[in-house]
Amino acid sequence: MTMTTGDRSSLSGLTDAEAREFHSLFITSFIAFTVVAIIAHILVWLWRPWIPGPKGYALLDGAATAIHHAMSLIG
Amino acid sequence: MYKVWLLFDPRRALVALFVFLFVLALIIHFILLSTDRYNWLEGKPIKTGQIEQTISLG
Repeated sequence: MTMTTGDRSSLSGLTDAEAREFHSLFITSFIAFTVVAIIAHILVWLWRPWIPGPKGYALLDGAATAIHHAMSLIG
Repeated sequence: MYKVWLLFDPRRALVALFVFLFVLALIIHFILLSTDRYNWLEGKPIKTGQIEQTISLG
């Protein structure tokens, strides 16, 4: 790659420096979006998990219900 | 990896990405609304789990 910073012969018309600049912005935005999505998934999982256990959703519906059921099994 | 922006025009790529993500989000939200378990607007308590639990305890 002998492309210099002022070369606009790329297919998109961007220079090497512009491509680097846009890429850093793009990655930052992508990471922010992913973090928000992960938080949203954690919240929904806490509300209602979407993978049922072997006995269906019975033991998974809500952390409180699960703990209560676990305690009733122990006591 | 940044060299991908020498191939693809960032403006078109961003528009395409935003349109794709918006349509995908819309589809996912409507699918969830169509289910009993994940419809957050009806807000009805979970039925399946309680029924299963009642049966397993009784």
